[in-house]
Amino acid sequence: MTELEQALVALGQEVQFPPEPDLVSAVRARLERRPRRRALAFAIALVVVAFGIAMAVPQARSAILDFFHIGSATVARVHTLPPAQERPLAAGLGPPLSRRDAELRAHLAIRLPAFRGAPPTSYYGRPGLIATLLAYGGQPVLLAEMRDDQTALAKKFLSPETSVEPVQLGRFGIWIQGGKHVLIWQFGLALARQVETRLAGNVMLWTDGTTTYRLEGALTRAQMLKLARDITR
Amino acid sequence: MVGRPLDEDDLIRRAKRGDAHAYEELVHAFQGIAFRTAYVLLGNAADAEEAAQDGFIKAWRALGRFRAGAPFRPWLLRIVANEARNRRRAAGRRAHLALRAATEQLSGDAAPSPETSLLSAEVRETLLAAVGELPDDQRQAISLRYFLGLSEQEVAAALDLPVGTVKSRTSRALERLREAYD
Repeated sequence: MTELEQALVALGQEVQFPPEPDLVSAVRARLERRPRRRALAFAIALVVVAFGIAMAVPQARSAILDFFHIGSATVARVHTLPPAQERPLAAGLGPPLSRRDAELRAHLAIRLPAFRGAPPTSYYGRPGLIATLLAYGGQPVLLAEMRDDQTALAKKFLSPETSVEPVQLGRFGIWIQGGKHVLIWQFGLALARQVETRLAGNVMLWTDGTTTYRLEGALTRAQMLKLARDITR
Repeated sequence: MVGRPLDEDDLIRRAKRGDAHAYEELVHAFQGIAFRTAYVLLGNAADAEEAAQDGFIKAWRALGRFRAGAPFRPWLLRIVANEARNRRRAAGRRAHLALRAATEQLSGDAAPSPETSLLSAEVRETLLAAVGELPDDQRQAISLRYFLGLSEQEVAAALDLPVGTVKSRTSRALERLREAYD
């Protein structure tokens, strides 16, 4: 260390910082009230999504025939799909990030399938959501994992063009295939929410623990099921 | 905590299992460095306190993916500093870090004597002024590295920069300071 650096270290001993606050009490209070607040916020988020579904489809043209929740997702059968475009799988998920940065941003650790080749290099992170593009069977597949009260998604599909069937996966899973359905991401809550809409293809959606998993791509049901089981093995 | 050595690994292990009391001990142990790191980035005590508090909450939620055996402090400081930067961006303002030596605030018998102070008053004032005139990014690197005593890796984590960038930034700042110091 040079003389100048030693002088800086010595100066550091004399620099006056503001008094150190007691953060222990404040952190304790927030940890104690957090579960209740998160549960409430999540319930609000689901209501907001359900409400959004109802509002996004003009009643003159369409009506929700039925809908149900699975983890962070709401799936609705409708008469008429709302306007949506074909967009890249990762559209609306933000810029590609390193795994570490995406996990920091999402506050989630991503679960990946066992890879024979190199793992993915690009990830996407939003509060409560982490995603990445996998290559499986020569096809790009979007893997998204969601938790918390900051992210929700809604799916709208037409029947019988699109079929939805339950699968034995995690705590509960469904397989959506056939015609394109509309995917609506929602980030944030209430007035601060951001909504991203696009058309989606075949999807496996399931919950495991407190996390909701979603796989999307041009795979068969069997391929998707194998991949899904490799993720939440 | 008094009289009991802090076993960081043990506290982290317990906190990862959901033991909030163990985490409180970690908060107690690291709140000083977390607060001062946020203060260097924000230049405001109230904002720094909030950023540090939010950082601890987010770190608690992210503990599940903290790698066992890895150093906790740089991991925590990265989260706290990220909170500080987000606040700074949201507020749309630059940090005005006002550094003062304790001797400026004290007088009479309370001021360190020349024997207890490692630096002469002249050197201290000159260096402080020179640090104060550095560009924001260089002042942050110098403050974190020498005033807070962070390692280069920790500075890099806090500033979300590669270690090489921190080294070059620190080196440029030292060149400027050397002109004032020599």
